[in-house]
Amino acid sequence: MIHVEQLTKTFGAQTVVNDVNFTLEPHTATALIGPNGAGKTTTLSMLTGLLSPTSGKIIMPGVTDIRKEIGFLPQYPQFYPWLTALEFTEMAAVLSGLPKKQAKKEAQRVLEFVGLAEAMHKKTATFSGGMKQRLGMAQAIVHKPKLLLLDEPVSALDPVGRREIMELLKQLQEQTTILYSTHILNDAEEMTDQVLFLRGGQLVEQGNLREVHAKYAEPRYLIEFVEQAHAQKFASAWPTAEWKNHIVRLPITEGQPTMTQLLRTLANSPYTVVKVEQEAASLEEIFMKVVER
Amino acid sequence: MLDSINWALIAPLLIVQFILAIVALVDLARIHATNGPKWVWVIVILLLNTIGPIIYFIFGRKTT
Amino acid sequence: MNQFTILLRKEFLEAWRSFKFLWMPLLFIILGITDPLMNYYLNDILSSVGNMPEGTVIQLPDLQPADILMASTGQFQLIGLAVFAVSVAGMMSRERQNGTVTLLYVRPLSYTALFLSKFIMALFLGCLSAVAGYGASMYYTALLYGSVNAIDFMKMLGTYCLWLLFVTAVCLMFSAMLKTGAAIAISVILFPVGLLLDTMIGQFWHVSPHKLGNYGVMLLTEASPYYGKTLALTCLLALIAIIIGIVFAKRKSITTAI
Repeated sequence: MIHVEQLTKTFGAQTVVNDVNFTLEPHTATALIGPNGAGKTTTLSMLTGLLSPTSGKIIMPGVTDIRKEIGFLPQYPQFYPWLTALEFTEMAAVLSGLPKKQAKKEAQRVLEFVGLAEAMHKKTATFSGGMKQRLGMAQAIVHKPKLLLLDEPVSALDPVGRREIMELLKQLQEQTTILYSTHILNDAEEMTDQVLFLRGGQLVEQGNLREVHAKYAEPRYLIEFVEQAHAQKFASAWPTAEWKNHIVRLPITEGQPTMTQLLRTLANSPYTVVKVEQEAASLEEIFMKVVER
Repeated sequence: MLDSINWALIAPLLIVQFILAIVALVDLARIHATNGPKWVWVIVILLLNTIGPIIYFIFGRKTT
Repeated sequence: MNQFTILLRKEFLEAWRSFKFLWMPLLFIILGITDPLMNYYLNDILSSVGNMPEGTVIQLPDLQPADILMASTGQFQLIGLAVFAVSVAGMMSRERQNGTVTLLYVRPLSYTALFLSKFIMALFLGCLSAVAGYGASMYYTALLYGSVNAIDFMKMLGTYCLWLLFVTAVCLMFSAMLKTGAAIAISVILFPVGLLLDTMIGQFWHVSPHKLGNYGVMLLTEASPYYGKTLALTCLLALIAIIIGIVFAKRKSITTAI
């Protein structure tokens, strides 16, 4: 369990993180979401101990040296090019307090876990971006930290690499607490218990993913027509409808209209319909709404 | 006058300079990236005796 | 202790794999060979390049082995030391600037272990180079000019290594404090340039670390009465530099690239 209380960081006259409060429950994943410059990296840096907060506290009950209990993956991890992946991970493990023998064993284990079994004896200079990200992950988890901090863990990766890293994270969620920053919200939606929306250094929305969804869901119908003209005509009959090409979006306000009503109306119309479905705002839309508010 | 020079004395110096240049070239061939184009460093190493390889080792190698 | 050992291993792997242990001693060997050879052939060189009238005999001073070793020391102190200082002055700052040390800083890292691992590696490299350089110089000097007392030679070599200990400590301290460019600039001004200044205007004082190298060579002939004091001062200043360096290694950890 980690409590962050009134965390604030100022650089000169600029307040980069402003009175941020949140709690991370064990074995949960929390997504820190916000546009560039919102203070995500600064928040994570304070949690790692690399930066000390101007004011506020980070509390991990029962832990004296927070650095022993965290694993950190920066957005662009840099490695010593002349060390092999195994040598580096082993060093990371020893520096985190593991005895030497165990360090090597654990290093091998995590490198296999992240999919670098074949490459662990190669120098990191030869590694691709995806491999570096995996190695970054390995060094962050080699000492089994209680809190895993990841700064934009998948942003720089291609879709395949992104998928693989997300799968790894899902497995890790069972063993540790995860806090990660991201702006790729599809991924966040998949593996998040809690969301924190950061804007201009302040938390503008936070909570359980389901609650946030419910709050901003704005349910609506999506109706797709064969003819664009039909869509336009149909939309003009509903003052709240939004029309775009073949698609009309019709907001549902207090349950109105019901699906039955809508289908009946469509059945009585001369328009040919491809599909009708009910949809809710994606995290991306919620994010845009919250951040631009 | 040059015939009087004892080549047994000079040879080790030349050999050491040669080894230095070879080591620099081997490193250049293996390294992933240099500051500036690699071919420039080849010229520097080959043309500037002793100084060339040393300049390469200090300023040529990229560390990330 | 575990931290120190693993960091030391990292430093040695780096130096080994980037050929540092090869090229720096080779440079010192070349510098060490140059003076005995040059002086030996000076007459030939002068008469083959100079436009001397036929039959001119240049009276060159009769050089003793110690004079040659002094000349080699001059080479080490100028070119060798510049190269060494530049390479040490980047050791800590460069890792902060390129962000490689960030993944070490986020752990419960001992800054003493971090600093000392780099210090020991650099000192080893410096001493290895000095031994190679003086060895080469001594070999040629013995061949061409005659030998010196072996014990005195070892004392001289040891003294030079202590001077390098001071240089390493100070350069690494600046590397812990400043950015690479500034650390290199100060190190070069302080050592190779500082030595030039000390030779030019240094007759006004007798005790300064910069004189240690020359006092070391003087052990071969007539030891300076200020040798002991200079040695003690140099070691003391080195110790202070190490302590300041460790403090700054910690203080500057927040400037690492994330």
